[in-house]
Amino acid sequence: MMFKKNASSKLLQREQRLAYLLLLPTFVVLIVVALYPLGLVFVTSFTDRTFASPREPNYVGLNNYTQLLGMTIRELPPLIDEETGLQVVDPKTGGPLYERPLRVLPREPRRYREVTQFSLFGKRYVLGATDPDFIKAVWDTLVFTVVSVLLETILGLGIALVVNSPFKGRGVIRAAMLVPWAVITVVSARMWQWMLAPTRVGVINVIFQMLGLGDGNIAFLTQPEWQLPSIIMVDVWKTTPFMALLLLAGLQLIPDELYEAARVDGAGPMRQFISITMPLLRPTMAVALVFRTLDALRVFDVFQVMLAQSRYSMASYNYYQLIGNRAMGKASAIGVIIFIFIFIFAVLYIRMLGVETD
Amino acid sequence: MSKSMTKLVNRVVFWIIVGLIMLYLLFPFYWAVNSSLKNENQLMMTPTTFIPRDPVTKEFSPTLDNYRAVFQSDQFIRGLRNSAIVAGATTLLSLAIGSFAAFALGKLRFRGKSSALYIVLSMTMFPQVTILPGLYAVITGLGLTAIPGMILSYLIFTLPFTVWVLTSFFRELPIELMQAAQVDGATPFQAFRLILLPLTAPALVTAGLLAFIAAWNEYLFALTFTAIEPASRTVPVAIALFPALVARQEPFGEIMAAAVVVTIPIVVLVLIFQRRIIAGLTAGAIKG
Repeated sequence: MMFKKNASSKLLQREQRLAYLLLLPTFVVLIVVALYPLGLVFVTSFTDRTFASPREPNYVGLNNYTQLLGMTIRELPPLIDEETGLQVVDPKTGGPLYERPLRVLPREPRRYREVTQFSLFGKRYVLGATDPDFIKAVWDTLVFTVVSVLLETILGLGIALVVNSPFKGRGVIRAAMLVPWAVITVVSARMWQWMLAPTRVGVINVIFQMLGLGDGNIAFLTQPEWQLPSIIMVDVWKTTPFMALLLLAGLQLIPDELYEAARVDGAGPMRQFISITMPLLRPTMAVALVFRTLDALRVFDVFQVMLAQSRYSMASYNYYQLIGNRAMGKASAIGVIIFIFIFIFAVLYIRMLGVETD
Repeated sequence: MSKSMTKLVNRVVFWIIVGLIMLYLLFPFYWAVNSSLKNENQLMMTPTTFIPRDPVTKEFSPTLDNYRAVFQSDQFIRGLRNSAIVAGATTLLSLAIGSFAAFALGKLRFRGKSSALYIVLSMTMFPQVTILPGLYAVITGLGLTAIPGMILSYLIFTLPFTVWVLTSFFRELPIELMQAAQVDGATPFQAFRLILLPLTAPALVTAGLLAFIAAWNEYLFALTFTAIEPASRTVPVAIALFPALVARQEPFGEIMAAAVVVTIPIVVLVLIFQRRIIAGLTAGAIKG
């Protein structure tokens, strides 16, 4: 008995040593390409290091962060006509006019520039930031993430429900669903860029005109109000199939007997959807949602290819700071901020998913 | 309305929905094919035509000039070669390193297993863009040029995913296989190499395909690392920065031809292995 226990613990020890040895290469790689660079980025974010320059960097404390995140809200005083003493009214729109933001935003010690204006309780305010491009990039990335993930979920669920019902040729659709997923993101951005051309050379403008929308000369990628919707449209096309595939796998886990029982009880299709499909699909959908959200928060390819420097996502702003401005310290601080954003979501994800350990 | 009439209407509506879905999924790709077969004049016709038509006679007249130009473009051919090297090497490396780790995580008993799994899982969600400046520093620090640099850095996203997919596969293989081998005097590593690894071939194909596609698709690192080394550009970078023949005009006919050329092999691959790919894509999300 004694002997046997010894032998098995020896065996266990050997097994344990083998396991560590087998895990070693993976962890070495992950340290070299992920953890060490992450540490480096964290340290660099407190310096003014310049990219590809021999100059010794200086320690600048939280300077990069305050520069990126510095924001202020100021009230805009009404623009008063000196003769009448009344607020000047825009002759075109009839709306009241206000002082220019430049006059109320602080300039010392840092210059704040306008991000946006808004009205609240009859007063006009301006949101100023020391780096308005970054604040806009954060805001645009969040809008992009929420809207595109929402649309992808709704459309993906619709497609998944259709493909889940038995009919001839559903294998063909399922195969077609993989096409947008398989297209390189840059390639799909280029394809859509061409479809979205600003004249009737572009097919979207032609289709819009057929439907009575626009004059056939909508500049989808340069008019600010069309930029985000266009980018979202491309992302929705590219990733809805992925969402649909995930949801389809979830749908297939729901046993048919449940639906049969519901039908026997006289429940219609809508009723079945609300009381069987939705609750049972919830775990799959939650996972798919968070998965897509993490992905959307770091969007780069579509923004960089289609909008270049006219509008940024967090990631494309990071890229331009690093390569265009060579501001390595600042780019590192942006990286840390993105990391924090995504970390919060990732923690939620792991909580929801749970890890099977054995 | 009679019952059979309602049934017919339902069927028609259903097929219209199916048709719309197909149109939505495939139209952009059709448009790329259509545009790639047009010459410069045909591309500039307003309104644009749904098949390549002659500007004057309006007859169907496709051209293969764009494909010819693409295959004569050094940048594009080099891009294909670079992409094949980078994606291929990344895939092989992550399968080799990853199957070791997955065997340990799926079949061996050791202390710290659950934290190791946690680390791998959290790495699958690692935001690559965060470490862009740091990774660049590491690669120049190691004295690597762009291509080995890309291969090494793509492991950030292919390796954790590969380990994750393979671990769930190893876990499902019966433990008796390993015990039988050990009774016959094989060490655990021999059991892994001679008995378990051949059995995981399907999982290796799945994980390998997904790793290959992810690496083939990557743009951010490729764009950054090849900024000073244009000869090492991969396909996505080459297509994003396609050289303009006429200075102020983007050569969309050629870009679309290039898009079609790089998309077709991947689509064929994906269609052949569609079951595997769907299983691999959904494995992490559903089983977890």
